Amino acid sequence: MWDSATVNMLVENTWITLYMTLVSTLIAYAIGLPLGVILVVSAPGGLKPGAFVYKVLDFVVNIVRSVPFLILLIAIMPLTKLIVGKSYGPAATIVPLALAAAPFVARLVESSLLEVNHGVIEAAQSMGAGLFTIIFKVLLAEARTSLIVGVTIALGTILGYSAMAGVVGGGGLGNIAIQYGYYRNNLEILFVTVILLVLLVQILQMLGTRLSKKLDKRITG
Amino acid sequence: MKKFLSLVLTAVLASGLLTACGSKESTAQPEAETSDNAQTEDAAAADAADNAQAEDAAQADTADASQEEQNAGELQVITVAATAVPHAEILEAAKPILAQKGYDLQVTVFDDYVQPNNVVEEGDIDANYFQHIPYLDSFNEERGTHLVNAGGIHYEPFGIYAGTESDLTNVPEGADVAVPNDTTNEARALLLLQDNGLLKLKADAGINATINDIEENPYKINFVEMEAAQVPKVLSEVAFAVINGNYALDAGLNAQTDALATETSDSLAAQTYVNVIAVKEGNENSDAVKALVEVLKSDEIKKFIEDTYQGAVVPFE
Repeated sequence: MWDSATVNMLVENTWITLYMTLVSTLIAYAIGLPLGVILVVSAPGGLKPGAFVYKVLDFVVNIVRSVPFLILLIAIMPLTKLIVGKSYGPAATIVPLALAAAPFVARLVESSLLEVNHGVIEAAQSMGAGLFTIIFKVLLAEARTSLIVGVTIALGTILGYSAMAGVVGGGGLGNIAIQYGYYRNNLEILFVTVILLVLLVQILQMLGTRLSKKLDKRITG
Repeated sequence: MKKFLSLVLTAVLASGLLTACGSKESTAQPEAETSDNAQTEDAAAADAADNAQAEDAAQADTADASQEEQNAGELQVITVAATAVPHAEILEAAKPILAQKGYDLQVTVFDDYVQPNNVVEEGDIDANYFQHIPYLDSFNEERGTHLVNAGGIHYEPFGIYAGTESDLTNVPEGADVAVPNDTTNEARALLLLQDNGLLKLKADAGINATINDIEENPYKINFVEMEAAQVPKVLSEVAFAVINGNYALDAGLNAQTDALATETSDSLAAQTYVNVIAVKEGNENSDAVKALVEVLKSDEIKKFIEDTYQGAVVPFE
């Protein structure tokens, strides 16, 4: 049962899952990080309250988060085709993955930034720091541990979503688990793919925790 | 006030759950499609499109049935469990013919693939019409039932459809070919591709073949596996797509005229995936069942099938 074809399939799909997860998370952060910052800054009581901007963004984030991922995946296939050139395959799955994750990331970022000690922000303001200085040198810098923890959460979540990539021919470990483990009742493959997925999440989690500990200002030494 | 509201909410939710459990004929779609037996892809495909239709048909059928009981005093009743499309439709077409022969055909529509076998095994219903032989065999094996094939009626052919390429003998290297990803459908697709010279499977691959069983891939084709229902949607982007008969119909493709190649009616696939009338062991020689099979295989019904489904459903010889 463990012939070279099966082993190759598992190795290849592990790479596909990693590829989809990492690239999607990167793009999700490229969109979600600025979104989260704007949400915090424009909120009532924020650094630069802007009721209209806040309301619109808040609404958009809520709406996109409410759409079940599988439906989003299929609904934006024309957009995927426009961006990637194909509506199927691992690269094509990245588009809906990133788009679905971006609002989630925005909320994670928002939550991290809201934790920042107000005293530090006020101190910076009283020293005459401009908006962007505060955003980069105070908000994001102070929140960086929390932000990195958020990255690990996002990675785990996106990896979970990527299991549905198989619907559009995206491949990946989740798809193997469903196709062989579930449809074909091959419990050995199901077991192995689950173990591989757990390992992947554990490694990413570990790296994230290590990095956040290193950068944590609160824990000395 | 809060307590009252939460009580009301709980009551509403609970009653919602109970009404959902109450309708026996609308068991969850995913449950049916992901049963751990080999699937009847024809039924699955049809159901995905016709869930609402099935429920309407079920209500209509039970209404008709009670009517029939009053009128058909002298006719012998035969009960059949079937999926909605095309099985129940074909049965409805056979009903008047059977009435002339002295039988009152009562059809009950189900939209899962376990119940129709269970009710026949338990003797509540005389026969069912929704599955092919591999599914029947594995159902018997896994659940210890004693259902037999009383006659093969039709099959729903797979077809290879042209996407960006249209010549099966001249395939560009590394081309993408879309195939369904579930057990029976994927194997059927690969077997059809093998019959048309695009690949060679290992000798023992059989009807559960997957892309891991491909021995020779001369054009280095990249097989894109996806949900059977999705395959027609990517037709314009891939070189070729191998599509189920009924999904092709839904996508406006005709298996007879649009496909580059289909399973021929004398092929192994047709004989294997023929949809059969199944009965409990011992009933296959009863007069009623024999009459049912005879009518379903009659020229009249053959013509009905050909006219209605235009190649997506093919009568079995």
